Amino acid sequence: MARIELRKIRKQWGEVVAVEDLDLVIEDGEFVAILGPSGCGKSTTLFMLAGIYMPTAGELLFDGIPVNEVEAKDRNVGIVFQSYALYPHLDVRRNIMFPLKFKGVPKAEAARRAVEAARLVHVEELLDRMPSQLSGGQQQRVALARALVKEPQLLLLDEPLSNLDATLRLSMRTEIKRLQRHTGVTTVLVTHDQIEATTMADRIVCMRKGRIEQIGTPEDLYERPDSLFVASFIGAPPINLLPGEARDGRLAVGGTELELLGAAAGRVILGIRPEALRPGEGGLPATVLDVEPMGRETLFLLETPLGQLRALLSGATAPYGAGDRTAFTFDPEDSILFSESSERRLPDVHVRLPA
Amino acid sequence: MAAPATPAARDWEALARRARWRRTAGQSLLIAFLVAVSLPIILPYFWMFTISVSARTGGVESVVLWRASSVLVPAVVGFGILRIFTDDRRRLWAGAAAIAAAALLALLLLVGRDLHLQNYRFLWNPDIVEEIRGAATASIQFPSVWVAFRNSLALALTQTALVLFVSTLAGYYLSRFQFPGRGGFLQGLLVLHAFPAMTLIIPIFLLMYWSGLLDTLTGVVLVITTLELPFSIFIMKGFFDAVPWDIEMSAMTDGASRRQAFLRVVLPQVRVGMLAVGVFAFIKGWEEYVFVRTLLFDKQNWVMSLYIFWVSEDIMGVDYGIVAAVAVFYILPSFLLYIFCQKFLVQMSLGGIKG
Amino acid sequence: MAGYGATSRQRQRINAVLFLGPACVLLFFFFIAPVIVDIFVAFTDMGRTLRITELTTANFERMFTRDRRLAQTLVVTFMYVLATLAVFNVTFGLLLALVTTAVPERVGGFFRSVWLLPRMSPSVIYALLWAWAIDPNERGLLNQILINTVGIGPIDLMNDHPLLLIVVANGFIGASMGMIIFTSAIRAIPEHLFHAARVDGAGGLAIVRHITLPAIRWPLSFITVYQTLSLLVSFEYIWLITDGGPFYDTTVYALYVYKRAFESGQYAYGAALALMLVLLGIGLALLMWRFFDMKRLLQTPRIEVH
Repeated sequence: MARIELRKIRKQWGEVVAVEDLDLVIEDGEFVAILGPSGCGKSTTLFMLAGIYMPTAGELLFDGIPVNEVEAKDRNVGIVFQSYALYPHLDVRRNIMFPLKFKGVPKAEAARRAVEAARLVHVEELLDRMPSQLSGGQQQRVALARALVKEPQLLLLDEPLSNLDATLRLSMRTEIKRLQRHTGVTTVLVTHDQIEATTMADRIVCMRKGRIEQIGTPEDLYERPDSLFVASFIGAPPINLLPGEARDGRLAVGGTELELLGAAAGRVILGIRPEALRPGEGGLPATVLDVEPMGRETLFLLETPLGQLRALLSGATAPYGAGDRTAFTFDPEDSILFSESSERRLPDVHVRLPA
Repeated sequence: MAAPATPAARDWEALARRARWRRTAGQSLLIAFLVAVSLPIILPYFWMFTISVSARTGGVESVVLWRASSVLVPAVVGFGILRIFTDDRRRLWAGAAAIAAAALLALLLLVGRDLHLQNYRFLWNPDIVEEIRGAATASIQFPSVWVAFRNSLALALTQTALVLFVSTLAGYYLSRFQFPGRGGFLQGLLVLHAFPAMTLIIPIFLLMYWSGLLDTLTGVVLVITTLELPFSIFIMKGFFDAVPWDIEMSAMTDGASRRQAFLRVVLPQVRVGMLAVGVFAFIKGWEEYVFVRTLLFDKQNWVMSLYIFWVSEDIMGVDYGIVAAVAVFYILPSFLLYIFCQKFLVQMSLGGIKG
Repeated sequence: MAGYGATSRQRQRINAVLFLGPACVLLFFFFIAPVIVDIFVAFTDMGRTLRITELTTANFERMFTRDRRLAQTLVVTFMYVLATLAVFNVTFGLLLALVTTAVPERVGGFFRSVWLLPRMSPSVIYALLWAWAIDPNERGLLNQILINTVGIGPIDLMNDHPLLLIVVANGFIGASMGMIIFTSAIRAIPEHLFHAARVDGAGGLAIVRHITLPAIRWPLSFITVYQTLSLLVSFEYIWLITDGGPFYDTTVYALYVYKRAFESGQYAYGAALALMLVLLGIGLALLMWRFFDMKRLLQTPRIEVH
């Protein structure tokens, strides 16, 4: 296993900068997710870790030793691609044995290890099939076995679940997490799906336009997003964002004013998660515009003096219907403020509904 | 799973060194290989050109060839190196211009005095062969090169027009219409496509003889057109297949008949295909030799390939400067077409095979 | 029907004639009819006068029992086809495709177009280039190079190694076909497979062996069959470069057929000899069906109105 360190890593294609000055440390045995919208440089970063791309600048260290120029084949990493990339002309057994061919593992032992790896991902009964005869989920498992059979010091997962249907995705999430715990291999997952990242990873690296926006645990990113981008990217349904003006201990939002806790001045953006809003006496007067049942929860679209807000309440049956008037409130700690100009969070600043 | 190889045991530094070495050495080796195997192709063309602009009775042309090469080879290599190391467009252009100027100057100094256009006098002197051999010894009374040029042009152009017309109609019909026997027709066409027409030269000769088309350009045009057809029909069908059905369907719901939809809506979508088929047909018609040699006798019917063949038969041993000049004159149209339409042609040869 | 003009059935007929008619007429007269004529003439005694006086099987008796030259021709053809195919059209074509796809795209594209140049040049010119290149005196390009660099020569390829000459001359052209087909086949391999193989520890050669070659098995067999056929029937370059000589050393079967008919004037015998090529051509063409994507080819059109 390895401790991975990226120091000011940069990747350019001609004039286009895909990844810029990336600093990141991945501890030995850690499961890290790189999360971001498409084109944010997350796959490029992964391919640099694999040795498929070479960084334009900066240093990539495995256990403190620079490996920038070491070829992919010498790095001993395992990778699972979005398309699984199984070798179409080899059966499952040979696919799994393929990496061992180049490590000088004797045939008998390679075969034994392939069976072992197949058992680990529950595909031992598929060993003699061809990839074209497998379902997406089975191909996925075979790809995992192939990545794990060489006992890599680093496991890379490139959007591994995005080609699976919803139910399969759920079970594979648990499965991959279990495998990672079981083998203890340092793992980097690249995904654009926040649920995948938050459910599987120990830490999440949120990227945007080639730069890191925030690194932290899923709770960090959800409760204390460093930036407007992270706040709006994480959480479903998305966070409510309301522009306002802070002055003299008060925050003017929409047609009303809120009490400011902490120091802030100028144009800010107030963020309140839909699930932080709850019905409460003496809160914001709200008119229900629309009701969206979402299974166990219900989403309400509200017209309030602050502006339009989404509120998420648990319970399948809606307590209100469209057109009802009621009142909503939230805890001051659940309010987040961002500077409008820098888009960064203003730490320890909250708002409270006026008494 | 067994314990992983300890990372410390790997000599990362050595691996990186090897990778670095492999990358540069590997690429240079591959390019060197390509240069080495491509020289035997480029050199003869250059040799022909050199002979055509420098040969006199005496044989200075080999000196010219090697002197010119000693300038051009470093210039080309220099340009290649420049390309590798310069990303900046302006510097690249400046560098290229400097190299070109230096090469031109060196050429002028080294071989300038030996260059002349005397060999191209066949363009205005129709009795060139007689002039060289003496009227009595020349085995054939040669027509002017312009007669052959006109015949070649007429042959290539009518052939191109015919191929385009017939294969566009047939390609569209095969792509878009259902009719009894369509499957059989397509399979038959496929067999004809793979079937070597050259084997039919004897019966084709007899058919031409019986129908009175022997020794007429019309006959040759019909034959060459037909031999091109299976190939071009498949290409055109492929291009029509790629036109979305919706376009045609909406044209027809808008009130167009099937034929109007074909002319106004579909045809403009396959312009690239028609260009490709046209260019290819022209080059084929321009270079045709075996069939014209077999089916045309009268000197007034000579095309360029026959003209140069007989010129080289007659005076190759006496004055090969003229032969080279005629060859350059003959190859120029197909050479220019090839350079400007390369992309289409490469696409074509692929499309033709894929069916 | 009056209000709607022609009936659908009528329109269908008119359309068929309009669109497919010209192609059918041409293909019949210059493709189908010649095959029939060839079969017919093969059983006649047509000679230089182009007249037929009797129907006979003499041509085939001569072919199978009395034509000594034919045996030699077959040996030459076999060696020529095998060598050109094995060395150039398949192996070297594959090598070019592999190398030009392994270097930066611009560089690879340039060298591919260089290799396509002979195919695009008029055949007479290509033959002339060879005449100058192998000119047996010191002025020949090859001899100039040999004398100045290696210090041997001058050599006379035309007379000393004629078979080698036609193999190389045809190979330079034949290799480009394989190169193009293989290049597109290599391009069609998903990039992730290459990445996966590199991460799995495969080096350059191992990737070629385990990823590239298995993926181009079909194009490889296609090229082999296709080029076998075209080498067997084409004689253009040989005719122009060596004219089958010296003596009969480079007279391949197809050239022999042509010469029997058009130089000796034995049209009937030529037709009988050509019949063998026609049959072989049809056989191999049928075999090549297997390489086409029939399902896509025969996809039913979606508009039913004519």
